[in-house]
Amino acid sequence: MRTSEGVQLLLHLDARRISDALRNPRLDAWAGVALPVVLAAGGLWLAGGSARPDVSTADGVILLGLLAAGPVSLQAYPVLFRPADDGFLRRLGIPARALFGVRALRLLLVALAVVLALMIPFVSTRQPLARPLGVALAAAVAAWAVSLWAQARAAVRTSGGGRSLAANFLGPDPELIAAGWLVFAPLYPLVAGAAAARFAGADVGSMPLRMGLVIFLSLAVVPVAAGAFARALPRFAPHAGELAYAPPPDASGGELVIGRGIARVLPRRVQAVRARDAVVLGRRYRWAGRAAWPVAIVCALAVIRAGGSPAVRAWVTLACGLLLVAQAGAVVALGRSERGRTRGMDRALGMRLGDRLLGRWAAAFGLALGLALPMAAGWSIGIDAAGGGTWLAAAAGVAAVASLASLTAAGR
Amino acid sequence: MTEAALPLAVRALRKKYRRRVVLDAVTFDVRPGEAVALAGPNGAGKSTLIGCITADRVPDGGEVRICGADPFAEPRAAAGCMGFVPEQPFLYPELSVAELLRFVAAARGLDPDASAAETARLLALLGLAGAEQTLCRELSQGMGRKTAIAAALLHRPRMILLDEALNGLDRTSAGHLVAELDARRAEGAAVLISSHDLDFLAEWCGRGLLLPSAGTWRLLEGGDWDAWRRAPRLEP
Repeated sequence: MRTSEGVQLLLHLDARRISDALRNPRLDAWAGVALPVVLAAGGLWLAGGSARPDVSTADGVILLGLLAAGPVSLQAYPVLFRPADDGFLRRLGIPARALFGVRALRLLLVALAVVLALMIPFVSTRQPLARPLGVALAAAVAAWAVSLWAQARAAVRTSGGGRSLAANFLGPDPELIAAGWLVFAPLYPLVAGAAAARFAGADVGSMPLRMGLVIFLSLAVVPVAAGAFARALPRFAPHAGELAYAPPPDASGGELVIGRGIARVLPRRVQAVRARDAVVLGRRYRWAGRAAWPVAIVCALAVIRAGGSPAVRAWVTLACGLLLVAQAGAVVALGRSERGRTRGMDRALGMRLGDRLLGRWAAAFGLALGLALPMAAGWSIGIDAAGGGTWLAAAAGVAAVASLASLTAAGR
Repeated sequence: MTEAALPLAVRALRKKYRRRVVLDAVTFDVRPGEAVALAGPNGAGKSTLIGCITADRVPDGGEVRICGADPFAEPRAAAGCMGFVPEQPFLYPELSVAELLRFVAAARGLDPDASAAETARLLALLGLAGAEQTLCRELSQGMGRKTAIAAALLHRPRMILLDEALNGLDRTSAGHLVAELDARRAEGAAVLISSHDLDFLAEWCGRGLLLPSAGTWRLLEGGDWDAWRRAPRLEP
């Protein structure tokens, strides 16, 4: 099979799989995708000017470039190396370059979706779109191409047993040190995205020419990335599966305790669901809890010290809003991961939908409290007491939407 | 026949997870027409061994050749020679059984007409006739496994690897599958099968590889195999 035939076959397969949502529409499948999208798009629309970098300044252009490049650089690894059908397709003998081609297209779609999302605040505040669109597109395309190259190169180095010098700073775990190339791979597209944004946005008059140059250079990188990917895939793809192996959690990772603290006021069944979901969330999406504290501390101190400044309030609101949405994403992902399994177990245990929903909401709200409580306190001290309660209400509301989407995504 | 042409040759295969050695210098061949049993308790390394053969796990040492091809250096040659049914098969939930098998045939580069006929034959053999338009997400565990078996056998591989493949199959379908595997063996295909049904392995296979615990292994052939098949057990 030639590479082009393989790409054609895989694109046909993707089209058939995607069209399943239209051929066999299911409420849970639609809601599982639509609710988070509506939540994120709605948040960006409402955030308006707070979520819109000022592209008339160099700093704003670079910030927009980083915002465009960030999600692309972080999604590159799972898109390239962790699709669920990877082993199945490799065992069918599909050429590695065909797999690369389709996955590169998927990542490009992610990049374009990010650009669209970044344009929402500009549209909602009726700003001219040409410049931010050009800057974001240049950054996203550059980040896309450099991500492909950086991840493929990291895969070659990792499967070859090489170690990066910087990896020695990652700590004592030899497995993590061995994966050092992968840890640092997302930095290259971030830098490339920021540089491409700065270059493309430097001069409005020559912007089309500059964008064309960025796109040309980016496309030139792709064949190099394809070659590295094809070299790396046979050894690295199974290695990637082993890298995802999680050793048993240590005791400090959050033990399952039913009926602790304020959760005692909940019905017993709801307490059980809350405790289970909180532990699974804490172990599977540890970042969602860990990210809350630094953001909360910085933002709470900022509003206490300079809460009178509209600019400070705007970026604090944006940062905390993004974190709440990310935590909601973790709750929805939990539902997607247990599709068709946990619900059956819960039903066998006699759990009602209300128990599951309330329990999951309590777990999601508990996760969000790590951010909402310090923010409520900081806002009450630095700005006004009533505003503090808004943070708790926002956390409860986001947790409610996320829990509903999560259970919907879990399906039958 | 040279060693390179053997359906499967495994030499000094080593695999460890962190510091825990699971496979230690495992060495064996599977010859054309042969059925080799892979037996051992849970966690002894059966699936890891099969994973190292199918390039789903990276061995720490040693070598594997499938029809003479290194599955890591020549993945497409190895894939063309091998049919593998994993313990937990992957099926696209959005595709119907017929669509999945059509995709597999196209990916393998099989002639559409011939593969359609072979698909229909395999589905009938496995008791899936009439389920062609069923979406894979609607299949029961046994039906899903049968679909995976049909996908693995469609291109008439020379080396068939079955990881607990008979689990969840009804008695009739299991009997038909064994008859089909016998017919493939008569044509020169070889089978490596792991199962917890020791009586079946003892009755059907001609040799065996016993993994009593992680890091230990014993090849059973000749008198050793005859002794084992009289009283199959997992202890060395």
